Amino acid sequence: MAQGFKSGRKGLTARFNAEEASLLQKLFTDVATTLEPDTDEGQDPLAALVGISENVSAPTDPALARMLPVASDDPEVADEYRRYTEISLRQEKIGYLQLAAMDLEKLDVVLDAEHARAWAAALNDVRLTLAARLNIQNENDAQLIAEKTDWNAVEDIEDYMSLIYNFVSWLLDTLMEAMLDSLN
Amino acid sequence: MSAAPQEALEAAFAQETEFEVAPGVPWQVIVWNDPVNLMSYVTYVFRSYFGFSKDQAHRLMMQVHEQGKTVVFTGSREEAEKHTQAMHGWGLWATFERVSE
Repeated sequence: MAQGFKSGRKGLTARFNAEEASLLQKLFTDVATTLEPDTDEGQDPLAALVGISENVSAPTDPALARMLPVASDDPEVADEYRRYTEISLRQEKIGYLQLAAMDLEKLDVVLDAEHARAWAAALNDVRLTLAARLNIQNENDAQLIAEKTDWNAVEDIEDYMSLIYNFVSWLLDTLMEAMLDSLN
Repeated sequence: MSAAPQEALEAAFAQETEFEVAPGVPWQVIVWNDPVNLMSYVTYVFRSYFGFSKDQAHRLMMQVHEQGKTVVFTGSREEAEKHTQAMHGWGLWATFERVSE
């Protein structure tokens, strides 16, 4: 995969090798699993059915906290927002991740507008999750991670995760440039 | 016929309009900088979701990048919440708040 996504007559296309496809599929499904709502025994089943959460506390997992951020300085406003939106946000994100994972059943991926949107959000949520695991908190941290490019120099899990992060970042950037072209 | 009832009506109407102004204080949606989101990604979200022009989307994206945040929407609370949720769906770090004086 030297080219990433490009736009063509059929839509946005990319060609993956088997290793890249299975890595991305695993990342998409792992993040989707992270986003599955906690099954709470005490939850009112009717409230859950209509997408209202009773538990409005912000997630403690840093990756989830970044994907489902606190929406307001005012705790009352933030809680109310979370109560009415968190379940549907989780479902929306899981849907995009699952769609992207399914597209990788083929190594030649062709995306229409709906699938491109799903891939963009899915790759971005993978990046947010990896960034939380790598503890990227500022531009300096991001720069140090971005400098890791040599697969032969991998010594530990953090090196490995950094290289995956950089690969996903590059892939998403090619997708976004192709999607921006299609708006012009 | 005296003019009083008309005046009373006008006074009542004025009061009512005044009453409606208070809950109408606008809300705004802010998108914050983070070290993760790509410039191309933020620009695309601004263009495709809000329908900003190429230049406007680029300007707002640079404002996030260089100044740490930008206001992408001002209006009713209901709409501010809807746009915040859309930004969270895209994975951007957004908050909403009442516009301060």
